[in-house]
Amino acid sequence: METERKIRDFVLRNYLFTTDENALRNDQSLMQTGVLDSTGILELISFLYEAFEVQVDDEEMVPENLDSVAQLTTFVTGKLAAVERSAV
Amino acid sequence: MPMLTENLSRQATERGDAVALVDGAQRHSYADLHGAAAAVAAQLGAKGVRVGDRVALLLDNGFDYVAALYGCLACGAVAVPLNTAARAGDLGGWIAHADARAVVLAPGHPAAGELLATARGDGRLILMTSGADVVEGSRLCTDARTAYGALARPASADAPAMILYTSGTTGRPKGVVLTHRNLAANVAAIVDYLALGPTDRMVTVLPFFYSFGNSVLHTHLAVGAMLVLEPNLVYPQKVLETLVRERATGFAGVPSTFALLLSRARLADYDLSALRYVQQAGGGMPPALIERTLQALPASCSFFVMYGQTEATARISYLPPEHLRAKPGSVGIPLRGVEIEVRREDRSRCAALEVGTIFVRGEGVMAGYWNDPGLTASVLAGGWLNTGDSGYVDADGYLYIAGRRSDIIKTGAHRVQPQDVEAVIAEIEGVEEAAVVPVDDDILGEVVKAVVVLRPGAVVTDLEIKARCRARLAAYKIPKRVEFASSLPRTSTGKVQRHLLARP
Repeated sequence: METERKIRDFVLRNYLFTTDENALRNDQSLMQTGVLDSTGILELISFLYEAFEVQVDDEEMVPENLDSVAQLTTFVTGKLAAVERSAV
Repeated sequence: MPMLTENLSRQATERGDAVALVDGAQRHSYADLHGAAAAVAAQLGAKGVRVGDRVALLLDNGFDYVAALYGCLACGAVAVPLNTAARAGDLGGWIAHADARAVVLAPGHPAAGELLATARGDGRLILMTSGADVVEGSRLCTDARTAYGALARPASADAPAMILYTSGTTGRPKGVVLTHRNLAANVAAIVDYLALGPTDRMVTVLPFFYSFGNSVLHTHLAVGAMLVLEPNLVYPQKVLETLVRERATGFAGVPSTFALLLSRARLADYDLSALRYVQQAGGGMPPALIERTLQALPASCSFFVMYGQTEATARISYLPPEHLRAKPGSVGIPLRGVEIEVRREDRSRCAALEVGTIFVRGEGVMAGYWNDPGLTASVLAGGWLNTGDSGYVDADGYLYIAGRRSDIIKTGAHRVQPQDVEAVIAEIEGVEEAAVVPVDDDILGEVVKAVVVLRPGAVVTDLEIKARCRARLAAYKIPKRVEFASSLPRTSTGKVQRHLLARP
């Protein structure tokens, strides 16, 4: 939940310029609703690294991973779990 | 000289089954596109659109956009493509300024509801919607099953064909009027130097409502080539996969297009061996970025640096690729049929290497700004267009751009008039005044910065300022950075000294 909250907060503040939780649905397509553009996605990738130390590889830069808060949360959670597994 | 409608009719006759447009999963043939354009022309006529009437198009790149545009040209209407990223305020302003008789829009557009309500209230404005009937009989007809003859040649080559708006509606709307001859001449000259042909396959991410995208569209349809539409560059890998899948021979972009591609993908991992030509326009591309792009492209691919302006239809000059490394920073030589002069303040011609104002003459130079003879007279005289850009020509006749005199901010493929943003910020309660300036950006070339002065005691956050801009302006106009200041630097005559604010 903490991961999702951080991602939601970043998208709301940096692309929608609001703290209104109702302004964004978790399953909302960020590209199709005009929230993310071609440079916005670069900022998002920088955020994922700064907030979670998650590196987005080129082949991972696809809508299935990054196009909604829900997809982003699943992607980040999966990456962090993979890091934990490899550390064990 | 064949007009655009004649080009399309010819291709539909000679290679009707060839693919003209790839739009998502759909592949549309020249016969289909031609039939759809004829159907739109018939529909416009039946609804009462007459020769010279303006028809606003609010459609993203796609089959419907192209059919609607060529349908307008075929029935003698003046197509007014609108920036689909704009908000309802600007869109309504342009429609009113153009005194449009009809508007063709996608019902899913964020501003559609507001525009539909306005159109219904207006009573005179003919409404057409792509994909669905929003009001009875409004659905754009692209049904090509009826047999249509060749698209009509315009009654006069010098009649207006398109109006392209190059600024918002806060200040003075600038609607560039392009005639059928303007478009035909510029297209023919571009086809010539790019050596375009029916075997070419162009992938484009450029919006057709801007002059660069508009020229990419018409030049490729003129020769029977295939255009593959990609909606944007949010996922550069998707664009690269399309280039590979379609065995693309051509690609076009502004400097940020290449910066984005290179920043997020290894081009060497993709088979781009079919690429024959890559075009760059839309602002100066740093030589270092050109060199990085060249390194990433197949050696057999020609890279064309080009210079142009909407007021000159699109293209003014190009740098022959074989001179790219010998003339770094140059935008090349004039297109066929275009003359370039660099002039001093007193209008006399500059010597080689002497910086002056760039003037252009030729069949691509616009008829003027729509409904604004004063503004037209300020840039057009004796057939010569004052580009407002400064530059020089070297001893070999190659043009170099030295700067732009206007305050326009170039961010990615977009142009932002600072006044449009300043006006929105100034409306916020507690704001005394604001100045909007460019700051350098590695990817976009420039981004928008706002310097805001608040009234004494007022509390306004940068988030509130950005939120207001987002509600009122296209996304690319929203300031990336907001700074607060106690006052704005001014000259003794009171003019804001923007250059002092434009520091990083």
